[in-house]
Amino acid sequence: MNAITFDHVSKHYGDVLAVDDLSLAIEPGSTVALLGPNGAGKSTSINLLLGLLRPSSGQVTVHGRAPDAAVRDGEMGAMLQHGTLIPELTVKELVDLVRRLYPRPLPLDDILRLADLTELAGRRANKLSGGQSQRVRFALAVAGAPKILLLDEPTAAMDVESRLRFWAAMHDYAAGGRTVLFATHYLEEADAHADRVVVIARGRLAADGTAAEIKAGAGGQIVRFALGSQPAAGLDRLPGVTSVEIADGEVTLHTGDPDATLNGLYRGTTLDVRHVRLSGADLEAAFLALTREPS
Amino acid sequence: MLYYARTETLRMLRNRRYLIFVVAFPVLLYLINANIYGEQTDAGGVSYAVILMVSMAAYGGLASSMMSSAVPWATERQSGWLRQLQITPLPGWAIIVTKLATALLLVLPSLLLVSVVAIVQQGVSMPPARWAGLLLAMWLGTIPFIALGLAIGSALSPDAAQPAAMICMFALAIAGGLWFPPEIFGTTMKAVAEVTPSYHYAALGWSVAGGHGLGLADVLVVAAWGVVLGLAAAFLYRRATVRA
Repeated sequence: MNAITFDHVSKHYGDVLAVDDLSLAIEPGSTVALLGPNGAGKSTSINLLLGLLRPSSGQVTVHGRAPDAAVRDGEMGAMLQHGTLIPELTVKELVDLVRRLYPRPLPLDDILRLADLTELAGRRANKLSGGQSQRVRFALAVAGAPKILLLDEPTAAMDVESRLRFWAAMHDYAAGGRTVLFATHYLEEADAHADRVVVIARGRLAADGTAAEIKAGAGGQIVRFALGSQPAAGLDRLPGVTSVEIADGEVTLHTGDPDATLNGLYRGTTLDVRHVRLSGADLEAAFLALTREPS
Repeated sequence: MLYYARTETLRMLRNRRYLIFVVAFPVLLYLINANIYGEQTDAGGVSYAVILMVSMAAYGGLASSMMSSAVPWATERQSGWLRQLQITPLPGWAIIVTKLATALLLVLPSLLLVSVVAIVQQGVSMPPARWAGLLLAMWLGTIPFIALGLAIGSALSPDAAQPAAMICMFALAIAGGLWFPPEIFGTTMKAVAEVTPSYHYAALGWSVAGGHGLGLADVLVVAAWGVVLGLAAAFLYRRATVRA
């Protein structure tokens, strides 16, 4: 059974269509990035998954059930945007409060260690920096040992150092066979930390696959070289190549996997290849191509 | 849920505003007033030391009920803390019930403190059964005010809830005769006092402390306000947490 499914889900706010006929299935144990520009429908999708919002049409299920049931059984943990803490309580008290609401929580010390809060345990929430508060909110999200962890732009208030530590903690948590879905508009985060990247734009599914597949799917990279008067037959059969253009003895190969293409070119042919240039689409370009406003 | 209630209580006890306005202020007012008027007795022969004790305890109960409900609740709704709780297994009703229970618990410090000061400083003495009845009536009588606080917290943003709660609290304290004896009111003010829950709430205490038991009218008015404000609070809570 899938951990998460969206079955033709749409969500309107008045006239605004935040999520538009989204269908998606996420397997248990995977780490998935929900990548999209601001206003793409990422937060709405996460709120739908938590039962904080109801779909206008379609169905969202978590382990085959309604989100409310999954929340009630303590299967979900989440780090939402803009959450603040109770200022008068200490880090330890906050974490312990939330963990005790779950039926099978993690031990308190484990949570504090995982979120790198052991030294801040006695500090009151109103004395924490932005990055420290984010770590507490991560601790609250994992406190109940939820099988599904949702993170809505989790690194928004963090500096570079905190980000590195945050992602290490996320991977530690995910390693226990748990499902993690994180929303981000940082391409590098999606590329570096997810098994699978789901790109949404204007509430619609724009692409879905590994980061490499998405780069490839959006036209991939371009390999150019000088062919001169040599025969061009067979270039279209090189690994990864999606199209071939030849003009004035200059070949342009579009490829989803430039490493494999070059390897094939050098080892699989006897062509004398000169002036090789590699250019074009990285994930950023792919992302922009996928999410571009229609003109 | 018990731990949630414990944490909520702890958190308010660390709140300076709560401690000053709710716990210290009524005691201070009592000390000032009782030392000026404490020797006098009212028409029924009850000393002002006792009447003022009830008035100030009532004010403390009222202030505590409103202060520990309206603004914290409005803040939690807006800050995202409510959503943080909503995505845990804690059921929605448990959140508001815990708020009510905690607010009720937090009424006790000011009630007890005013009573202790009255005993120690003014030498007020009553039979133990009367003390018990008085404190119980003054304690449970705060339910309408807690409901009002929670209704305000559900309906308004924190910025608006703060003055709204303050205005309600002072209006109820003054109109209910908690600061000035109701006897000095003109007929208009007296008529206003008659419909407020705060006047009847304090009257519960005055009557018990005077040895007359509970007045039926007082019980009915306080209970009616409790039901009305309780329903309002429940309705507004549902509206505030509706999952659209």
